[in-house]
Amino acid sequence: MSNFKRAIAPSPSRVMASLKATQIVATKPILPAELIATILDHLPIADLFRFARTSRRMREMVYDDTRWIARLKSMSAWNETEARQRFEEGLKRKVEAQKLREAEERKKADVGIGLPPNEPNGTKEEHGVGGDRKASTTLFDAGWEEEKAKATREISRDRRGTLEGNFEKLGLNSHEVVSRSASVLDPAAALDILNRVRSIRGGARQEYGKVYGALAPYYFDLARSRSHTDPILFRTYRDPEEQAQMLAQLKVFAKSDFAQGWHERHEKLETMIAVFENAVLREFEQGYELKDVDGKMHRYAHVLTTLNGGAAGVDTFIHNHPLMVDKDILGSPMECLNGVSGEHFDSRPSEDFFRRLAGSVNEQSATIDRVFPPTANVLIPFLERITDEIIADYITTLFDEAHERNIDSYLKAVSGVFGQSLRFSRSIEATKGASKDFPDQVVAIVARAFEPHVDLYLTEELDYFKKRTEAEVRAWETRLEAEEASTESFYMSNVGRQAAKRDFLSSFRKVVMLPVNAVSSIPLSSPFGGTSAKLNASPVTDLNGDTSYHSPYGKTLEPVTPRSSTPQPGERASSPKPEAPTTELAAKAAIMSTRLDAIKSLFSIEVALDLIHKAKTSLERAAVFVQLGGQSGEETKEQCEAIFVQLLHQLGDRHVRTGFDKAVAHLSAYNPREAVAHSPDTGVQPLVTFIELVNVGDLIQQMVDVFFIQELVAQKLVDRDDFLSPAVKEKKKFEGMLDERVAAGLNKGIDVLMDEVEYICGTTQKPSDYNPPVGADLDVGVSETATRIVELVGGHTRMLIGSTEKNMLDVFNQEVGVRLFTVLCKHLKRQRVSCDGAVKLISDTNAYHAYISTLKNKSLTPYFSALRELSQIYLIAPTHAKDIATIIADQDRYYGILRAEDVYEFAERRADWYTVKPAVERAMYGIGCSVM
Amino acid sequence: MAAADSTEKPFVLIETSDGIEIRVDREVAERSVLIKNLLEDLGPEAAEQGAIPIPNVNEAVMRKVLEWCEQHKKDPPAAADDDADNRKKTTDIDEWDQKFMQVDQEMLFEIILAANYLDIKALLDVGCKTVANMIKGKSPDEIRKTFNIQNDFTPEEEDQIRRENEWAEDR
Repeated sequence: MSNFKRAIAPSPSRVMASLKATQIVATKPILPAELIATILDHLPIADLFRFARTSRRMREMVYDDTRWIARLKSMSAWNETEARQRFEEGLKRKVEAQKLREAEERKKADVGIGLPPNEPNGTKEEHGVGGDRKASTTLFDAGWEEEKAKATREISRDRRGTLEGNFEKLGLNSHEVVSRSASVLDPAAALDILNRVRSIRGGARQEYGKVYGALAPYYFDLARSRSHTDPILFRTYRDPEEQAQMLAQLKVFAKSDFAQGWHERHEKLETMIAVFENAVLREFEQGYELKDVDGKMHRYAHVLTTLNGGAAGVDTFIHNHPLMVDKDILGSPMECLNGVSGEHFDSRPSEDFFRRLAGSVNEQSATIDRVFPPTANVLIPFLERITDEIIADYITTLFDEAHERNIDSYLKAVSGVFGQSLRFSRSIEATKGASKDFPDQVVAIVARAFEPHVDLYLTEELDYFKKRTEAEVRAWETRLEAEEASTESFYMSNVGRQAAKRDFLSSFRKVVMLPVNAVSSIPLSSPFGGTSAKLNASPVTDLNGDTSYHSPYGKTLEPVTPRSSTPQPGERASSPKPEAPTTELAAKAAIMSTRLDAIKSLFSIEVALDLIHKAKTSLERAAVFVQLGGQSGEETKEQCEAIFVQLLHQLGDRHVRTGFDKAVAHLSAYNPREAVAHSPDTGVQPLVTFIELVNVGDLIQQMVDVFFIQELVAQKLVDRDDFLSPAVKEKKKFEGMLDERVAAGLNKGIDVLMDEVEYICGTTQKPSDYNPPVGADLDVGVSETATRIVELVGGHTRMLIGSTEKNMLDVFNQEVGVRLFTVLCKHLKRQRVSCDGAVKLISDTNAYHAYISTLKNKSLTPYFSALRELSQIYLIAPTHAKDIATIIADQDRYYGILRAEDVYEFAERRADWYTVKPAVERAMYGIGCSVM
Repeated sequence: MAAADSTEKPFVLIETSDGIEIRVDREVAERSVLIKNLLEDLGPEAAEQGAIPIPNVNEAVMRKVLEWCEQHKKDPPAAADDDADNRKKTTDIDEWDQKFMQVDQEMLFEIILAANYLDIKALLDVGCKTVANMIKGKSPDEIRKTFNIQNDFTPEEEDQIRRENEWAEDR
């Protein structure tokens, strides 16, 4: 900046100096051309041509085509494309003509000279350079133009049809060709003079001349006249139609009046038009009063349209319309609320209201067709008025009242009435002149009446939903808290006593539920896994999956429901078991709530369903407004997403998460030694509960997914792939939360499961199992401990199938397997195994192995194969101590899982270890040494 | 000079074609877009470097122009897109301007030329309108006389123009 300044600093004086040095030699008061042109702009037309007559230079300046094109343009009567086309065609013809002429000239040289050398024939072509040849060419051109004009009249007229299309019907073909020199046109020809302006380059002055000749007399006369009876216009033209047309033309013409005093002239014209319009309007109103539809109304509506589009006539028509005058005949908004109580809203009166309204509007549509020309857009403004005055009034009163009375009925009313109004707008029949998008326009107009209500409605809807769901969850929580104490006690102690009753109840439930069950499958079975969109199609296809699911499920679940069998009269009554489920959701709720009593204290599928159901109603109500489009539509979408987000929040954070947290807490608090009653086939109580929970969580997640797809994606409220949309984000979060809880719980669950396994090992494994007293019967079957462990672990792992992701399941299984292996090894090291007992041990390890192979987990199998191999070291008779050593040292046997040292440790557990030890060690180390 | 600045309005010196320096308030001088742009381009010190030479305008005309500028110094500056539609239409000349323009024809032309050179749109407009009013209603002969135009038409040619444009005749 400073640099710049320093650099420039010395320059001013230098500039001044150089300017000073410049000398203007002479200053004469002769204005340059550009200034004369400016002066000419201010001249009236008549003076322009007097000025043109002073000298050639002045004439050229006046005749300059751009000057006249500008005037035509100011009347919107210049069409540049047309002009260009004409010019190019002219150029082509000129080249041809020139060739012809040259040929002619060679023959008869004197013909060309016959023309006066500089005769100004009017068209000073901008592309020409002057000279006699050019002059005659333009003459030819102009003549040709006239001819061509006849042929192209229709086309050019169509093109300009949009400008003053309504003039066309008065087409006066006999007067189409107007002589260029005619200064006074006959009145009939003047009627559509503006329509016949052609865009000819170099001919703009002539074209303007025609218009001027026809309109200027009336225009200036009008400007001079004192009263509305004076002007020649009204004396020349007696018909109101013609008068209107001329006035409309004058209005356009006035735009090309640049000269001083134009403002006064415009005003005069405007007042004149206003006077005229008023007179016509009075006639129109008279016709209206007399209901003279096809006579006076029709005629004067057309006159008004010709004059200025007919806005005034339309306005009068609409304003005096009987619909506007007595609105009450359509019905009162109060009818919808009176006569019904509380949160209900009677939609019939409003339905009637819209039907009556549609009826009378359609009636009017016919009348409008008869009265107004098709170009006049009457029905749309009419509808706008109806919307503003009748519909808006109606709904405002209705909504305000409903809002005051009851939020529920308000929400229903807004959504319902909006739907009705959409139907209403679709039932409106278009007039003849209506554009193609008429239905859309109508919808937009009617929807506009609702716009002021949408914001409040959406806020209320969300609030309402939030409140309701919160209340729901809280009610459930408080109920739970009240029951907590009693539940807890049953939880630990009631197992044994309740067993019989429980059995009965569960089988009873099974019988009752079975038919429903067959109809509506539970989306827990694996085939249902990922693609929950098929929900509705599933009942048939999933039957198989369903039954296969039931057997393990029922078996493990039945004994596990002691808590639920606690009499809970309230709950029982509320569960819709006895009624035939009406919807699929309700059916599912019935099944699930009865069958999943086990986890009632954690979270309730009924509550979840209820929440989803509420969300569904809210969403469906709000979604109607998406049709509003534009900003309101967008807001509606946002609000719908907000409702969904709210649902997930309530369902996920408030409901499911607390349940999971509680279940995990239960799991960690579990201590197998303290659990008093261990009925033989019971699983680990909290773990079963938890796995149940995982199943239900999965179910809820799938419900949410289905809900999301059907309500939001299918309705196009949310784009499924739009990862920025809050609904999708929240859904991901919800799923993530669920997965995380499941993972955390399973982790705890494994601990608990292994505790339980250890407990079983410690309590049920009799010393005689693997070390039977000599002489006892050799029982080669699987020991009770192994059976129970396999059952226990197997039962739990099976429960998870289909409820979580396969990956998670694999990880879980592997962890279970490895941990089980460790526990079993530890257990084995505590045992003494004799040769006879080894048979039993081998059976046990075979049982474990068989179980593990059902998991189809490749990395697990070697562990249990190794265990199986290992058990053989006990089978070798003490006399073959060397072989024992070989087996211990044989690394390949154990798949690298057990080292020789480990195996050696196991070998120590042989009942006869101390007798064989020296031999084995000798064999081991001896052989080892020799090999070394 | 710095001391004078605080009390006096900023001014500029203008040197006319006949070598007279005129001292004008800067605000007045800036009615001329030419001077305004010049001062803006050269920076604030430029005015102190010496008089701005206006070689096309003599003292008498310059004083007349400056008189107009003084009168109209409070006018809002013309909008940039003014010449789009409205400027085409001739508005009335206000009373003061009418009186101001009551000068001999040579002076009137000089003023127009000066206004054009100095780029004072409003003054140029007033000048042109005044000239247009002088032309209005005059016959070609009278116009020629008034503006000292040489008639280079033959009578036939002149009549041809008249016939061609009969439509525009006064009624």
